[in-house]
Amino acid sequence: MKIFDPHVHMTSRTTDDYEAMAAAGILAIVEPAFWLGQPRTFVGSFIDYFNSLLGWERFRASQFGIRHFCTIGLNPKEANNPKLADDVLALLPRYLDKGGVVAVGEIGFDDQTDAEEACFAKQIELARAHGLPILIHTPHRDKKRGTIRSIELVRSMKFPEERVLVDHNNEETLPIVLESACWAGHTIYPNTKMDEHRMAALVKKYGSDRIIVNSAADWGISDPLKVPKTITVMRQQGIDEDTIQKIVWTNPVTFFAQSGKLDVSEIDARPEIDRKLQYATNSVLRGER
Amino acid sequence: MQAAGGSADAVAAAYTTARRLGRALLNLSAAEKGDVERLQSDLQFDRWTLEDAGRAALLMASAAAHPDGFLRAATECYDRGDSAEQESWLKSTPLLPEPEQLLPIVIDACRTNILPLFEAVACENPFPARHFPERNFNQMVLKALFNQVALSRIAGLAGRRNADLTRMAADYASERRAAGRTVPSDIGLAMTETP
Repeated sequence: MKIFDPHVHMTSRTTDDYEAMAAAGILAIVEPAFWLGQPRTFVGSFIDYFNSLLGWERFRASQFGIRHFCTIGLNPKEANNPKLADDVLALLPRYLDKGGVVAVGEIGFDDQTDAEEACFAKQIELARAHGLPILIHTPHRDKKRGTIRSIELVRSMKFPEERVLVDHNNEETLPIVLESACWAGHTIYPNTKMDEHRMAALVKKYGSDRIIVNSAADWGISDPLKVPKTITVMRQQGIDEDTIQKIVWTNPVTFFAQSGKLDVSEIDARPEIDRKLQYATNSVLRGER
Repeated sequence: MQAAGGSADAVAAAYTTARRLGRALLNLSAAEKGDVERLQSDLQFDRWTLEDAGRAALLMASAAAHPDGFLRAATECYDRGDSAEQESWLKSTPLLPEPEQLLPIVIDACRTNILPLFEAVACENPFPARHFPERNFNQMVLKALFNQVALSRIAGLAGRRNADLTRMAADYASERRAAGRTVPSDIGLAMTETP
């Protein structure tokens, strides 16, 4: 079983996590740009963060045999900072053209403010201009309305729905997303969002078309092995191997390959690991060379 | 308060130094509580610490001595504050001048994932009920539900309930049930009518 985790914030995770993920069969991941917990106060903090996603983090993943892609965008929480938002948006075109940037994201709504909607719309335009799909974060609070508003915005801007991944769905938002042509992501978390058993029940009810699962592991209580753990539960619930393979590999690969920056034939095999490699004279080795 | 001087930097430095007052509870006497109630009937100090009180006094004194520099000094204290300083700052907002200018900072503070910071705004603090626009107030109440913060701690909630908040709370209850989870028992406090 080939496994793709299409949403995981590795910057917040340890090398133990990378080792465990590789051992569990995860071949490739997407790390969306997002909020770091501590609000940023300078545009330079975003520059360094984006550079780190494209540089050091991609290198770190490669040292464990995992292919690392990312999405770049201004997250909805920080879209509310008027001192920063315009400057960050102005940075994005350069980053969106870089290799390995497979979507604009995470964008969408948090508090569902006017500032969030304006940044969301501007980034949909950027995605169109750069030929990229978009990754939409749906809010924790007032989620159903936020999901509906997100799809309505995409539709009103005539952005192709098959190039949209609406993430963090639950029992009430999944049918709404499936009525559109958007893809539906599900975040399997230890306590909130979705869990493995509820996910298996949703697959039994709705099938596997446009269905994606991820761990969204970050600096909070989360688990980077949630995709493999969901596979185990889906098997226990009698879901067949082809259906599972489609959900944990074919679907996310097909979605992000729309960026033109993910070579389907290349990512099939685990990359060679060369721990002698260095990134700007840094290695993940600590004196043990 | 002499140390506060005029400059924002000097006020911010004194704001940090106030940590030496310590985190023991302020513990107002009944008579002191009576005095407070006569000034602002909706203020509550039960969870205030000595450093919270010292920092509030510092900002109030700075505002009185240098009203023109108040906003810059107050913003500097918040922006460069650690979590404890920001917590003190948010608790003190109902006592500070220029609430409309402070409002964007307080609304932004609600976006935190640091629960004590969120509670410094949402709980035992009349500032949101007095100044938040409806949409921001509603988001704050939903976030309290989401984080298992008792709604009875939100000052002035009863007077700010509205149709949209009622709908949001009902949707949240429905989402919890669909996920096979329990619904917070005090969710009715966010609703103008029980569904």
